[in-house]
Amino acid sequence: MSAYSITEPSKASKWVAGILVTLYMVITLLPLAWIISTGFKTGPDSISYPPKVIFSPSIEGYVNLFTDRTRATPEQLATMPPPDNFVDEIVQRRGEVVTGPSRFGERFLNSIIIGFGSTALSIVLGTLAAYAFSRFKVPLKDDLLFFILSTRMMPPIAVAIPIFLMYRQLGLSDTHLGMILLYTGVNISLAVWLLKGFIDEIPREYEEAALIDGYTRFQAFRKVVLPQAATGIASTAIFCLIFAWNEYAFAVLLTSGNAQTAPPFIPTIIGVGGQDWPAVAAGATLFLLPVMIFTILLRKHLLRGITFGAVRK
Amino acid sequence: MRAFLTGLLSFRRGPWENLATVLIGLGVVMLMQPFALWAFTWSFVVTLTGTVMFIITSHFPE
Amino acid sequence: MPDLPADTPVDRLARATPPTLARKVRGLSDRTIAWIFVAPTILLLLAINIFPLIWTIRLSFTNFRANRPNEPVEWVGLRNYQRILTDPDIWQTMQATAHFLFWTLFFQVLIGFTLAWLINRKFRGNDLMTTLIVIPMMLSPAVVGNFWTFLYQPQIGLINYAVEFVTGIPASSFTMLGSVSLAPWAIVIVDTWMWTPFVMLICLAGLRSIPDYIYEAAEVDRASKWRQFWTMTIPMVLPFLMLAVLFRGIENFKMFDLVVLLTGGGPGDTTLLSSIELKREAFEKWRTGYSSAYAIILFVTVFGLASIYVKALNKVKER
Repeated sequence: MSAYSITEPSKASKWVAGILVTLYMVITLLPLAWIISTGFKTGPDSISYPPKVIFSPSIEGYVNLFTDRTRATPEQLATMPPPDNFVDEIVQRRGEVVTGPSRFGERFLNSIIIGFGSTALSIVLGTLAAYAFSRFKVPLKDDLLFFILSTRMMPPIAVAIPIFLMYRQLGLSDTHLGMILLYTGVNISLAVWLLKGFIDEIPREYEEAALIDGYTRFQAFRKVVLPQAATGIASTAIFCLIFAWNEYAFAVLLTSGNAQTAPPFIPTIIGVGGQDWPAVAAGATLFLLPVMIFTILLRKHLLRGITFGAVRK
Repeated sequence: MRAFLTGLLSFRRGPWENLATVLIGLGVVMLMQPFALWAFTWSFVVTLTGTVMFIITSHFPE
Repeated sequence: MPDLPADTPVDRLARATPPTLARKVRGLSDRTIAWIFVAPTILLLLAINIFPLIWTIRLSFTNFRANRPNEPVEWVGLRNYQRILTDPDIWQTMQATAHFLFWTLFFQVLIGFTLAWLINRKFRGNDLMTTLIVIPMMLSPAVVGNFWTFLYQPQIGLINYAVEFVTGIPASSFTMLGSVSLAPWAIVIVDTWMWTPFVMLICLAGLRSIPDYIYEAAEVDRASKWRQFWTMTIPMVLPFLMLAVLFRGIENFKMFDLVVLLTGGGPGDTTLLSSIELKREAFEKWRTGYSSAYAIILFVTVFGLASIYVKALNKVKER
């Protein structure tokens, strides 16, 4: 129990604050809850009015998400062998047949490859640069740091015009490598700024002791600084990953098939007469869930991440 | 005001940076205001001047 | 001590590497290492950001069209800039951007600060709630924006149902995204939903940076709570608030993904923000030279705001 303090809010005001914040939380999380629940609804349930809160769950949305289907006449269906798995069963019950897997899996995999590729590259380059900026006298340091930060502020569409032309010339359009390089270019500013903050916090004495023990700079960096910065590197990596994972503007303008990631793909999932909402919601759930989990894991470093390391708490 | 002017004349960073900030702010407002087309037309020049001034004057001594 | 078998990590490394390289590694000055460490980052940024930027500036003085790369390219001087800056339609998109920018900032600061102020009462469970409230801003704007079109559906959507439930206005009598008067507000609502937590988090950091003894001193001086709030809390949080406002301002000035998936600029160009207009000019009409000039105008504006942002950033860092 803490001692009585005149600045401690009264019990009543805590209650009121708690209730108001809870209310906001419920309202703000409702759309997310709606995404997750719509993913488990059947087509008719998802568009019923008034909106259904209680419904019998179905995995139809997920089946639709992962398959391409076509309508079949009752005669065609009658000639087909009885369904031997749950996917065929669900699809045939609606008078459709599966024609193959959908492209969602591919797009999701692209998101993973490009996300992890660009994150790894940004972290490697960013750690090196951040260490140099933190420990050495780099000429024009402030200008370089500002220049690095300002690159992240550029409007993506403005950058996309020359990148589009450049990639067309170099044959990098719609390739994984092209997207990895591009996302690294955007993420590296965040990586440098965040990591510089983390490395600044490691006392120089540790390295100096190591240098006196006969370590070279490289060794001191590898064996003393890197282990100390591990938490910082991990949380920076997650921020980079989340950016690359969520990015839409570059992805929609510079990729069309081969290297397209999930964000431009999910809005194009259509069914009969418009978007197939349970399937869209299922895709969105699979896509958003990892980020939700990462957000909870990152909670202690969130503030740093969103302010480029300026606010430390 | 007087301190501000002497600051400008002696090429100190503070007042020049503030002036540049004001110019950038003014340029942005001119760009998006709904009142006069001429202000919109000249907004870019104002913002550009402010930005260039900001980059140069951030190298002036404190 | 040359006779003793040396076995520090350095020596092991030295033995494992060829002699010349080992000498080189040992002999690198800090300055050289600094350059080796910084160079890859700078090179990548030059290739991905600066080179394209210079190319854009060059293109902005031409009438180049990316879909007809073989046509002769003419230098048109400042004509692109002149045309953009005297075009009432572009001016219109800037006003749509301004409406979006102003109201999103207004609501986000209002709600975000209030929330932070309430959370700072330190009631039980405030940490967990903060984490949960923050979730929307970390999600993909494209995927979330697309789903909001479903929530906004007039016949079946959750939002319209909620409005009917609360106010009694029939749900099918209005379409948030399809109506000229409602669409600009619909995008403000979604952006506010998504980014209020951002302002809240930064305000919370500002509130928590105020030491208790300041309030204690004020209590001793019998300053009223109202006075304490305006003369101490607000000025102390202001630098943090500035940071949040500038960052959201920059982000929303170049807003693309969320709004393009919500309305695509419609209905009737009422939500045609500057980035969406730029995308149309550059990637649908393929007026590359013209849109390059437009891009430079947006870029200079963002760059100017960014330099103020960095100044604000350093101010907060000093705290």
